[in-house]
Amino acid sequence: MKLLITVIIYALFITYLLGAVLFFIGNKSGKKQALLTAGLMVKIGFVLNIAALIVRAVIAGRLPLANSSEFTLWFTVIIVALYLFYETKAKMREAGGAVMLISALLIGSILVLMKGQLGEAVPLMPALKSPWLTIHVLTAAVAYACFALAAGLAIMQLAKAETKITDGSIHRIVVGGFVMLSLTIVFGAVWAEQAWGNYWSWDPKETWALITWIVYALYLHLRRRLGWKGKTASIMVIVGFVFVLFTFFGVNYLMSGLHSYA
Amino acid sequence: MEIIKKVYGYLSSMKTGLVLLVLVGVAAALGSAFLPDVFFNSWLFKLLLIILSVNMVFCTANRFILFKSRLIKNRNRWLREIGSLLLHAGIVFILAGLLVHTYYGQNAQIAIRTGDTVDVSRVIKMKEPFSLHLDDFKVEYNEDGSPSQYNSYVIVIENRKVKNDAVISVNHPLNYRGVKFYQQSYGYLVKAKYINDAGNEVEELIKEGNFIRPEGTERTVKVFRYIPNFDPEHGMATKTLRPDNPRIIFSVYEGDQLLGVGAAQFDERVEIDENVYVVFAGVEPYTILKAKSDPGLPLAFLGGGMFVIGVTIALLAAPSQEKKQEGSFNKEMR
Ligand code: HEM
Repeated sequence: MKLLITVIIYALFITYLLGAVLFFIGNKSGKKQALLTAGLMVKIGFVLNIAALIVRAVIAGRLPLANSSEFTLWFTVIIVALYLFYETKAKMREAGGAVMLISALLIGSILVLMKGQLGEAVPLMPALKSPWLTIHVLTAAVAYACFALAAGLAIMQLAKAETKITDGSIHRIVVGGFVMLSLTIVFGAVWAEQAWGNYWSWDPKETWALITWIVYALYLHLRRRLGWKGKTASIMVIVGFVFVLFTFFGVNYLMSGLHSYA
Repeated sequence: MEIIKKVYGYLSSMKTGLVLLVLVGVAAALGSAFLPDVFFNSWLFKLLLIILSVNMVFCTANRFILFKSRLIKNRNRWLREIGSLLLHAGIVFILAGLLVHTYYGQNAQIAIRTGDTVDVSRVIKMKEPFSLHLDDFKVEYNEDGSPSQYNSYVIVIENRKVKNDAVISVNHPLNYRGVKFYQQSYGYLVKAKYINDAGNEVEELIKEGNFIRPEGTERTVKVFRYIPNFDPEHGMATKTLRPDNPRIIFSVYEGDQLLGVGAAQFDERVEIDENVYVVFAGVEPYTILKAKSDPGLPLAFLGGGMFVIGVTIALLAAPSQEKKQEGSFNKEMR
């Protein structure tokens, strides 16, 4: 089992990376074959990603929702699911390269930063034994995945002179992420009240989730009230995702707090 | 009058709100990086939050006043209007709850030994005092020896009558008359006996780190630590929390001089001096509960609920009709 999960994670990393490269080649040269193969990689990656979650659930003997590598697997599987949905709806593959690259790098972080986590069966500690764990972690994963997809679209929109990626579609995805992040924070607070006796304790994870939330709230207001659209809005979406990444990695590896196990 | 209007206009504007929001974000980032324990309790940060609250109260009030006319004007966006109002009012409630918590909230730690009763009103001010009696404290373990749950079996006693019995465990606090009790920590007292020359036995309950002074010798025994699962390879740290191989680490002194250190099993007779023995008969757990009373909690909860519902319906359920509203807003909001 330990070997199996390692193999799957490596395969997943290579699949997402290959997908990204093929998307970049295909979009640059206009080669249809490259784009079709890239699309296949997305689907293979999606299946492998789900397989990784299932194998991890078997190893851990519980739903894989507790540590950072488990969270990363949810993070990427939802990014890819959202991307597939977007690709079908928008009928274009322009953003595939950036989105797959983000997913590949996230899986890469499991291999570099979270070595061995997925092979070990670690039972849940008492504080994590709550139905709120499932709700809180899944809403967070969906929120982060929305922000990742939006950032991927924004990057491609900025990088290309001519693009079919619209400001409105990026905005709609950010809105989805913002709602999910709001739910994550509130559900997290309700849970913290139950587990620790405080709904808000300025723990680094809480604090940075709030800061991230403020960044996107600014984006929503500035875009609507002051009409910050196009390039400026796209830059804000990318900056927002940098905050998401810091809330995830920076807080886990640079700061200590009550959330330090995830 | 002009000035008041101007100040009110400034305080209630969304731009001011956004600037304040950025300030809170920057302050929180710096605070979390450099001085988390001090900064978030500082008056500077609290002041910032209070100004933000004032701004949001005013701007939400403004929007409440405008609510009806905006509903009529934007009839096809009524869900968004309601959601938007709910979410902003929700944030105000949360901040108000936090404020009440800061001024009227009470926190205390209560340690109770099995069989003991503690008068809660001694640490938390309340109108109708009650006591908490600990019947039992039990730790449950996973297969690998790690703890899976901590349980305090308690009885609530009010006016000498048993009112309630409950199990307090992590994620399952007890709420009684607005005071909430959380399982926070636990510890052990060591049951020590010493037997001297004359055959006298004396029993004591000792806190870790304290000394036993047996009669009939100058020597003293420090009960250093209880180790539930002793393994020489792990030294003074327990291998797991489950009591698979319990030992008491103790040291023997004569005056200031350390004579030796040992790891005694339960019921093992340890000779301290000629014909003076110490026996560690076992341990008695005590629980540490956090007691909290926060009159602002219902307010914050209500606000959280309003916010969640508001965000969801404002942004998801409503159709986004960006072009139409652009003109109509710039007039209303500075
Ligand atoms: C400080 C005073 C604030 C004012 C005056 C204000 C004002 C407004 C206004 C006028 C709208 C447009 C409402 C509509 O579409 O019907 C809006 C939307 C919104 N506000 Fe605020 N707001 C404030 C603070 C906040 C805060 C702290 C948050 C939390 C992040 C927030 C979250 C939102 C959201 C999510 C929307 C919807 C955005 C969108 O429609 O794209 N607001 N706000």
